[in-house]
Amino acid sequence: MPLIRREPANKMEPAGAVRQSAAVLRSGDVHERWQAARSLAAEPEAAGILGEALATEHDARVREAIFTSLIRLGSDESVEAVIPHLRSDDPALRTAALDALREMINTVRPRLPALLADPDPDIRLLCCDLVRELSAADATELLCGVLERDPEPNVCGAAIDVLAELGTPKALPALQKCAARYRDQGFLTFAIKLAAERIACQDTSS
Amino acid sequence: MDKRILIIDDASLVRLYYRDALQRAGYSVDEAMNGLEALEKLLVTPADLLLVDINMPKMDGLTFLKSLRRQPMPLAATPAIVVSTEAAPQDVEAARRAGGNFYLVKPLTQDTLTRYVGLCCGIKS
Amino acid sequence: MDDPPPVTTDEFRRLCEFLYRRTGMVFKEDKRYYVERRIRERIRATGSTSFTSYFARLRSDFRGEAEKLVNAFTVNETFFYREDHQLRCLTTDLLAKRIAAKPRGDPLLIWSVPCATGEEPYSIAIWLLEHWPEVDAYDVEIVGSDIDTQVLEVAREGIFGKRALIRLSPELIAKYFVPIDENSWRIIPELRQSVRFSSANLMDTAEMRAHGRFDVIFCRNVLIYFDESSRRIAAENLYENLVPGGYICLGHTESMSRISPLFEVCRFSDAIVYQRPLEGP
Repeated sequence: MPLIRREPANKMEPAGAVRQSAAVLRSGDVHERWQAARSLAAEPEAAGILGEALATEHDARVREAIFTSLIRLGSDESVEAVIPHLRSDDPALRTAALDALREMINTVRPRLPALLADPDPDIRLLCCDLVRELSAADATELLCGVLERDPEPNVCGAAIDVLAELGTPKALPALQKCAARYRDQGFLTFAIKLAAERIACQDTSS
Repeated sequence: MDKRILIIDDASLVRLYYRDALQRAGYSVDEAMNGLEALEKLLVTPADLLLVDINMPKMDGLTFLKSLRRQPMPLAATPAIVVSTEAAPQDVEAARRAGGNFYLVKPLTQDTLTRYVGLCCGIKS
Repeated sequence: MDDPPPVTTDEFRRLCEFLYRRTGMVFKEDKRYYVERRIRERIRATGSTSFTSYFARLRSDFRGEAEKLVNAFTVNETFFYREDHQLRCLTTDLLAKRIAAKPRGDPLLIWSVPCATGEEPYSIAIWLLEHWPEVDAYDVEIVGSDIDTQVLEVAREGIFGKRALIRLSPELIAKYFVPIDENSWRIIPELRQSVRFSSANLMDTAEMRAHGRFDVIFCRNVLIYFDESSRRIAAENLYENLVPGGYICLGHTESMSRISPLFEVCRFSDAIVYQRPLEGP
């Protein structure tokens, strides 16, 4: 009995297809790189390759395609590939990375406490916005932690902005303590007052 | 006075804080949550001055400024104050190269904001 | 239940911000009454006791509330000459730009996707015949596509009721439709033949690619229903379906998320549209 192939003889091995796309992603022209980035959405092992390409890719459209493929893969490796780019000097890359993490929030979630305690205040500030994607209860818990310990007013400001949208009454004590800490800061005083007012409305409704 | 200020920042409370100060000072105020929304609004209704945050979803402040400066005149010449949490010289320089006219560092008081807006709009404070 | 109280300025603001973030829908101040009415309807419909509790429900998308709210804002019936300012933009600006950019003799390709029961692509055809002086000088192909093959069948039949024709003058109806009975009219055969209908799923890259490239795409009031990740895929596909320099028109309240960095925003006197740049992938 002749050998029955399950797949066509000319089908490329998955590893071969990934290697080829990775090579194109490094050295093709802008059109080829765009297509290569898109095609890697189908290859689970490609997250690392896509992440590396982000470091050197300058075309905004190819970069967008790389992020879209990472999101479609949506794995732990995808999240790990994206997180380092939050530290980029390029604001376009930073915000694209944040946008991507937002769309993978369930996979990012276990890493949020560490991100919110990162030594770099810029990282802490950016990641406060990711908390917006969580439930009101989870967001409140995480952001109260930020308010209680963060030494940077801008980070506290970012946390308060999210609490103003979805904080629960459990946030009120942390907000008051923060207000006392930053009594001399016009914006924070204003923001805390507004956030507390909005949250207090919840007490009077069911 | 009828000077129109567009506040471009993804943080709702920051926009409210600036709006509060600027409206009391007599300016007409509009808001956008990111660079893309700002661009689309400006294409319909020009502004006399922009307050531009850097870190915003969908389109960051520097990308917005570069896109703004490529638009037809007079839109391309709209003065812009960049207001950012970043304070390093390279961030200020990057903002200038992208087309920002002035640079202020957050957190900003309402007083500072109103003073700078007044200067930029040519109104004596 | 009593009439829900009026929505405060702060509540209105928060809702608009939320809607914009989720769907890309933009509401200007002059739409305040329109938006407020719909919010209050949803508050009543969900049995919420306050805006705050309704907003919490919306945020957590309890029982699909986000989609229900979006539905409340989109007119679910389609009709001829809907959002005609974009049709005006087509004949005033977009086609001229495309003609200038193409070799003479090349056809102009216009895509309506999703086309539902066909009102949009047929509207484009009628509008071109009525408002574009050069309609005889150029070869125009209009394609209407949808994911739903049943509506495509209806579109091919070209039979419409009174409500669909509400924006058309009696003269236009007499010119382009044949009455069937007191409540239905059928598009004349020449127009039915001028639109090609096909199946297409915005999320299916292969299917989209098979349609080739267009000069102008109308993709109205559908991306607002997509989640952000799906919008990315749709945006990539739509990009590929435009010739470099081609234009895409969305619904009038839509600001396309993921538009940047793929497309450029273009302002014309009748509409804001998005353009695939001439250079790029």
